Amino acid sequence: MGKVRKFLRERWRYFDAALALVVIVGSLVYIYDLLVGSRGLDVAYVSRNYSLYLHAVFTNVYATTIAFIVGMAIGFSVGWLRTARTVPLAKFAASMRVEKRERQENPTGSEEGRRFLVVLSLLWYGTKYVVRRIGDGFVEIIRGTPLYVQILFASSFFIIFLPQYVGEGILIGIIALAINTGGYQAEIFRAGLQTVHSGQIEAARAIGFSRLKAMRYVILPQALRLIIPPLTNEYIGLFKASTFLFVLGVQTEISYIAQHEGFAGDVFEIFAIVTVIFLAITVTLSFVVQALERRFRIPGLGIEQVKLPRGVWIGRVGG
Amino acid sequence: MIRVEDIQKHFGALHVLRGITFDVKKGEAIVIIGPSGSGKSTLLRCVNLLVEPDAGKVFIDGVHVNRHGIRHEWVRQQVGMVFQSFNLFTHLSAIENVTLGLTRVKGMPHDQAVEKARKLLARVGLAAKESAYPAELSGGQQQRVAIARALAMDPKAMLFDEPTSALDPEYIREVLDVMTALAREGMTMIVVTHEMGFASNVASRILFMDAGKIIEEGTAEDIFQRPKEDRTRSFVSKILR
Repeated sequence: MGKVRKFLRERWRYFDAALALVVIVGSLVYIYDLLVGSRGLDVAYVSRNYSLYLHAVFTNVYATTIAFIVGMAIGFSVGWLRTARTVPLAKFAASMRVEKRERQENPTGSEEGRRFLVVLSLLWYGTKYVVRRIGDGFVEIIRGTPLYVQILFASSFFIIFLPQYVGEGILIGIIALAINTGGYQAEIFRAGLQTVHSGQIEAARAIGFSRLKAMRYVILPQALRLIIPPLTNEYIGLFKASTFLFVLGVQTEISYIAQHEGFAGDVFEIFAIVTVIFLAITVTLSFVVQALERRFRIPGLGIEQVKLPRGVWIGRVGG
Repeated sequence: MIRVEDIQKHFGALHVLRGITFDVKKGEAIVIIGPSGSGKSTLLRCVNLLVEPDAGKVFIDGVHVNRHGIRHEWVRQQVGMVFQSFNLFTHLSAIENVTLGLTRVKGMPHDQAVEKARKLLARVGLAAKESAYPAELSGGQQQRVAIARALAMDPKAMLFDEPTSALDPEYIREVLDVMTALAREGMTMIVVTHEMGFASNVASRILFMDAGKIIEEGTAEDIFQRPKEDRTRSFVSKILR
């Protein structure tokens, strides 16, 4: 008995996962039974055609993954830009005060050099200000318009300005998806960066880290751990949204449905195949991410999982 | 060692520092006391340029540091700082907190940095806790790691911003002991604290600040027993009670 308990305690995680899978698969089977119960699922069709759809979904996976990684770069840059606390104008004024003070204290030195410095810093802070406003606009436009429209827009853009690439539907699709997810990820990154306590930045600066190094070695490692769940969410959302690429002539599973079956005939079988493939991918992903989260967990960072004292058997809690 | 000349600082409409001048010689331990909001923390942050003074000069080891052409990162390596809320890097273990600056700022090889960090952790009495994360340490232990982290950069002076104010009473002693030992070894220190015992034992001078100015300056005995100014007297009577 003790052995069984020990075994259960150590392997509970796997039973837990298995139970989740049973619930997911069971609900699916039940729904399909409701839909096609009277005529049954055409297993022969499924076994004949599933590889076709698997191949189509593979296109989605790789388009999504490339777009997601590019989107991370966009999202991080825009998100970071939008966390800037000091108004550039105020910083410019502060820098001018230092400059003025030095001019008073040390009147030697060329006047032209000083004017050049003033113009240079005005340009620098001005550019930062404008770039930041562009970042704000970018996020609002991306999340305020439908992805479908954005993809059509990208496609029209290529037709008019870069007609030689119009055949490359997948390329256009990846660009559109990357820009879209970039806008959403900008907000995820902004939230993550702002969640890291300002004392952490101060401490890093106090031992001589530059802004960039503090970001790389202190803020990002903490922020990234915090934003794993919303980033996973975004990846899954993007993965499903990638089915829109069929409008660009990319062979996604929806285009297969349209071409091969015309939304008639074996439509339930196709839905069954597609659902199972999508779920298999997303569920696997979420288990992998959970494992990653456990692997990179750090005590005190983020919300603690409920931890029972060693040796407590769940059945006995409170008993 | 550290010289501050007529420092002015505004935060918006708030005039936080109104012309502060003082001098810290090598090996001196200066304690700054004063009511909250008097600008003590801001003054400390002006010394290592975490806050840029609007006017006035800061000298460290004879170098005028708050002017164009001096990298703030360089200045901050010369002066270590310990914070009220510890601010240990949450995602790193105690020893990694100490080595991070060594490897990433000073470019020291990893093995050498670990060796140095071990020595420093032993010095603050935490050799056994090197792989613990900040959340697994008590407040006093966290603050001692923070001291080790600042010492790792071989600073010429140390700044302490109310290092014991966020601690439970039972942990204050251990942090003060480390600081006292440091002062005895001849470290130049500026300490903002309300620990009067520490101030009397260790401080070579005490500065009393109020409303952005230094009101009075003197030895612990001068300030605590024979304060000259009314404001000093009323403040001292409040905290000594």
